[in-house]
Amino acid sequence: MSLGQAAVQRLAGRHRLRWWEALPWLAAIAAFFAFPNHLAFGTQLLVTILFALSLDLVLGYAGIITLGHAAFFGAGAYTVGMLAQHAGWTEPLSGLVAAAAVAGAIGLASGYVLLRTHGLALLMLTLCTMALLEEAANMASAFTGGFDGMPGLRFAPLLGAFAFDPLYFRSQYVYALVVLLACFVLVRMLVHSSFGQSLTGIRENTLRMHAVGAPVRARLVTAYTISAALAGVAGALFTQTTAFVNLSVLGLDRAAGVLIVLILGGYGRLYGAFVGAIVYLLLEHLLAQAYPTAWQLGIGLVLIVVALYARNGILGIADAMRSRGGRAG
Amino acid sequence: MSAAAMLETRGLCMSFGALEVARDLNFRLLRGARHALIGPNGAGKTTFVNLLTGLLAPSRGSVLLEGEDVTSLPQAKRVRRGIARTFQINQLFRGLTVLENVCIAVSERLGVGGAMLRAAGRRSDVLGEAMRLIDMLKLGADAGRRVVELPYGRQRLVEMAIALGLAPRVLLLDEPAAGIPSAESHIFLDAIAGLPGEIAVLIIEHDMDLVFRFASRITVMVSGAVFAEGTPAEIAANREVRAVYLGSVLDA
Repeated sequence: MSLGQAAVQRLAGRHRLRWWEALPWLAAIAAFFAFPNHLAFGTQLLVTILFALSLDLVLGYAGIITLGHAAFFGAGAYTVGMLAQHAGWTEPLSGLVAAAAVAGAIGLASGYVLLRTHGLALLMLTLCTMALLEEAANMASAFTGGFDGMPGLRFAPLLGAFAFDPLYFRSQYVYALVVLLACFVLVRMLVHSSFGQSLTGIRENTLRMHAVGAPVRARLVTAYTISAALAGVAGALFTQTTAFVNLSVLGLDRAAGVLIVLILGGYGRLYGAFVGAIVYLLLEHLLAQAYPTAWQLGIGLVLIVVALYARNGILGIADAMRSRGGRAG
Repeated sequence: MSAAAMLETRGLCMSFGALEVARDLNFRLLRGARHALIGPNGAGKTTFVNLLTGLLAPSRGSVLLEGEDVTSLPQAKRVRRGIARTFQINQLFRGLTVLENVCIAVSERLGVGGAMLRAAGRRSDVLGEAMRLIDMLKLGADAGRRVVELPYGRQRLVEMAIALGLAPRVLLLDEPAAGIPSAESHIFLDAIAGLPGEIAVLIIEHDMDLVFRFASRITVMVSGAVFAEGTPAEIAANREVRAVYLGSVLDA
């Protein structure tokens, strides 16, 4: 087989499932039985993975540098919170749809305006959008609970049968896992499609993308809207499974946190969100136990090491080792 | 000259501040033309190509594609109408493979660049067309390599493959052979020779050997204006052209 044919075969087979892609899901199922007392942590982990995955679509694939992705997480979180509190709309699945619609609409509107810019201007504008939403949530206390947020929300049992028990997160965990799987299948399909390929083209060279006749801005706004909707679903899951929402869902801490997760795991590679979320939350968990006041110091040090020595994150290290092994073999 | 103009400019003007880079440019690129644009550095040749493709907007004048005014059309829309180009300095998707680079262009031309449901790897029409172009430019052995790993001369050929992947009716080549080792420049000349005859090709080139081998018509630009135009023989015999440009190149 010629090298050219080999290249075609490789590209033609890129979207096919690999055996190891079953591992994260098997591990998640195993964790359900192995750590019944840590399912609240597990649920938080699954929500974080979904949030990071949504960011990967725009940051890792389309190359949109954003520091305000929590705007959409927060929009989704407040949507289901306010619907439950004020409208008695407590059915979880339709709540997810509503959250995706609201977050997606905000993504579409802000993306349409912001994605004319790039680089530092875009970074600042995404940050400002999130700050505006945060302040709006703070001021509209009649609807949002203001600074205190909305504690003690109640949601209807899932499918009318599985109640969200505030002590035992069994339903919440399975629910979050299934939603994550559905969203992952969607994102995986997108990044391997021609649309996804064109996003990587925009990331690599926007000028050339215009010069091959691609509607660059429309593609970016589309990706941004889909990503916002997914982040909204993650936010909605957060509110539904923890039964509260407050301003922290819209803050810079959360936006920076998800960015750190993705950089730790490796962006532009789907599974970076999984690895990054596990490492980040485990580090946070363990460091907070050992050094309750200074755990962020540890995260900061790890991040410095990754930024200096592993630009493509933890999965990037794995890739580099594999290609080195392949060359030697 | 009764043949129809594929691409035409009328009174095209453009300045960067006080510097006039296009002065009342009237130019016709005929169907099937093999046309060269030459002139000293800073004459405004690349600016002219940027005006033709819509990367820059003229301050006055118009660009017509097959008689239709496209002056206000953005770059991407002109590409979809059949104007493709290569860049003087490579503009490639450096982190992607050669095959992916060409596939992106072919996907856009076939109108599937925004398709979300089907995996890019399952579009055998796109892959087949991309490989045909890659083989034509003798890049087959590099198809699976990332562009950033290739020597500059090979990258120039990828630049060409992307432009051809757009199946253009007008092809604008901005110094396509610059940086290609002379032993490989025939690859690129063969590729142009193999193009369908009705495609109009405009080439900016400093290599006079290549220009005279390729072109059946030559336009000389100096200081943002058309200085002379004619057949290669007429241009070679033109004393003024020799004085301002060719003399220095040919004697060198």
